[in-house]
Amino acid sequence: MSLSELGKDSRAVVEKLTGDERFMSRITSIGLTPGCSIRVIRNDKNRPMLIYSRDTLIALNRKECMGIEVTEVAG
Amino acid sequence: MSSATIALLGQPNSGKSTLFNALTGLRQHVGNWPGKTVEKKEGSFIYKGMECAIADLPGSYSLTANSDEELITRDYIASGKADVVCILADSSQLERSLFMTADYAGIDVPSFLVLNMADVAADQGKTIDVKSIEKKIGIPVLLFSATEGKKYEPYYETMERAVKEKSRINVKALEAEYEKIEGYSELKEIIPEGIISGFTTMWLSVKALEGDKQVLSMLKARLSLEDYKKVQNICNNSQGAIATGSSKFRWIDEILDGSVTSQKESIALGKLDQIYLSRIWGKPAVILTVLLGLIASFIPALPFMGIGQGIAALKTPVAAALSSAGSPDILVQLICTVLIQSFSYIVQMLGFVFGVTLVFGLLEEVGVMARISYVFDNTMGKLGLQGKSVMPFLVSFGCTMGGAAGARVIDNWGQKVLTIALAWAVPCGAAWAVIPMLSAVFFGPGAVLVIVAILLTMILHMWVTAKIFGRKLVQKNDRYGMIMELPPYHKPKLGALLRYVLGRTGDTFKRVTSVVILVCGVFWLLSYTFVPGSQPILYRIGTAIEPVTKIFGLGWQLFIAFIASAVGKEGAIGVISALYTGGNLSAAFNAAMSGAGAASNLNEILLTNVSKAEALAFIFAMTFNMPCVVALAATFQETYSVKWTTRIALYYTFTALLLAAVAYRIGLLIF
Repeated sequence: MSLSELGKDSRAVVEKLTGDERFMSRITSIGLTPGCSIRVIRNDKNRPMLIYSRDTLIALNRKECMGIEVTEVAG
Repeated sequence: MSSATIALLGQPNSGKSTLFNALTGLRQHVGNWPGKTVEKKEGSFIYKGMECAIADLPGSYSLTANSDEELITRDYIASGKADVVCILADSSQLERSLFMTADYAGIDVPSFLVLNMADVAADQGKTIDVKSIEKKIGIPVLLFSATEGKKYEPYYETMERAVKEKSRINVKALEAEYEKIEGYSELKEIIPEGIISGFTTMWLSVKALEGDKQVLSMLKARLSLEDYKKVQNICNNSQGAIATGSSKFRWIDEILDGSVTSQKESIALGKLDQIYLSRIWGKPAVILTVLLGLIASFIPALPFMGIGQGIAALKTPVAAALSSAGSPDILVQLICTVLIQSFSYIVQMLGFVFGVTLVFGLLEEVGVMARISYVFDNTMGKLGLQGKSVMPFLVSFGCTMGGAAGARVIDNWGQKVLTIALAWAVPCGAAWAVIPMLSAVFFGPGAVLVIVAILLTMILHMWVTAKIFGRKLVQKNDRYGMIMELPPYHKPKLGALLRYVLGRTGDTFKRVTSVVILVCGVFWLLSYTFVPGSQPILYRIGTAIEPVTKIFGLGWQLFIAFIASAVGKEGAIGVISALYTGGNLSAAFNAAMSGAGAASNLNEILLTNVSKAEALAFIFAMTFNMPCVVALAATFQETYSVKWTTRIALYYTFTALLLAAVAYRIGLLIF
């Protein structure tokens, strides 16, 4: 499923990242790589998504989230 | 150690600016990287009697050529100008923030690692075993808190050790990870060591895999066609940045394994974030924060304002003294109208620039600015801007110059210039003082409608201007959505920030003085009566083109008042009042610019001379004209660009007249 489908407080593992080279390098340099676990902090309409990963609170624009596929895990 | 040059490298929010400001104090200057529109911060400090130069490299999350900032950073390091690179990481988020170190590994310039924000990590209950990290990574490592007062000795010692040992990152384990990536070993065979100075084959191979455009084009220029084709083939079939990024993080995990112990992760949002990040209260909270920041900016600015007004008050006694000493009138005018007036403006402005830079710099350092970005990302994205741009817009309701100074927190030059260009469309405090007064004289209770119309026009203006200027200023590849970290809140280092702001204010003074004196000088030339009995140039131009300006609904008096409003909006009413009462033009200009009041019977004067439609036209022309000479100077100061400052100024003059024409036609239909 896509990251943006996850509700608040759900946990997931990043499965796959798709996008252009620029997106790939930006998303990996902020710490999101396949296999890393994340937790959704906020998923509000008209705001970037807020996730927590590698000790960091990260804001992600919704369009950018399209390329992030995740598998939900029980929290 | 003889003198050394150090470069600071670190991701956003790693405390790089704080460290830079603390090391250099007032010994720093800000400029632009040659041929690029990226801010260049350089400074120096004395250590053991030696002068060390230090360059603050633009912050980015990695060293991939995604932006001008990253390219500059890379080129600077590869050029060998720096003897040693100081890499910063955030101790409270080591796993993520060591990415820059992993990305740096393989560059052939000595380096050392500073794990900054040790205090935040300690608060989180993390313990970090520096020695074990140092052993694995192979360069000097220091656990450090840039915000903590005077404890800089360990920093200097670590730096000195790195310079002496020429320490380079131990890449063995990292390379072992890269070897697992398909195509990496083949690339390494093709790319000979030393092909591009400053970079090892390992580093170049990894960047090629990541599809780094600059590295690929450099390889293309240096490899045979056949070899380059092979490189392309390998890279097209690779997993690119995902694979290399995973390798980097595996290496980081290996380094941190057993070196960092932390208590159970707790990620409850703090009280402040509950408000800022709330769907409902986020926006009001941000707007309130900025407005409070604006008010707070006035506190340090007030003494300056007082001094500035004091300088303006010198005009009369100085003029009297000069006249009685037998100076020619032209000299008296030059000294009083141009010089004293300019310095009065500049000093008043500097206070405000100082206040705004300090208060908003503080918000940036504490971490609030990142929240502002988050909350307004969507809204500002529609204009091609970052969420942070909302701050200069709000500040511009008070003062456009403050808005321009506040735009400094926007890290992309194009977006910064566009933000300032749009902030000009926001009517400032001086305009808000004039608009209701004029509207009330002509339209009575209808003044409310005028104000609403002005606000709507402002939004439309910003939208159109964003379209027009945005095409050039914000490239398509900068219009990506936000991917950014919201850093934990931390204490600012006030002393370092204060020194930086003082330095910046000094810079501003040097830069804007010439602009303000020049513009005030030009206006004076236009309005001064050189030949007794004849009329000044401005009058002649105004009356000559009156048939044209009448189309916009502006008679020559109103047109001249419109021109005057480009110097300062508060002067416009005084000029009108003087011109309609048959006053001498140059005296009127002069008096109005130093804030002299209007005639007591202003209402009658206006109502007998100006029709309602003309009044409406003038209100729009004045409101959307260039904010003032000081805002113009501040724009030049922040954009470093004569070209763009001129463009924006001409554009606003033109659109103000266009809006006046529209308002006049609509006014004719109504009245």
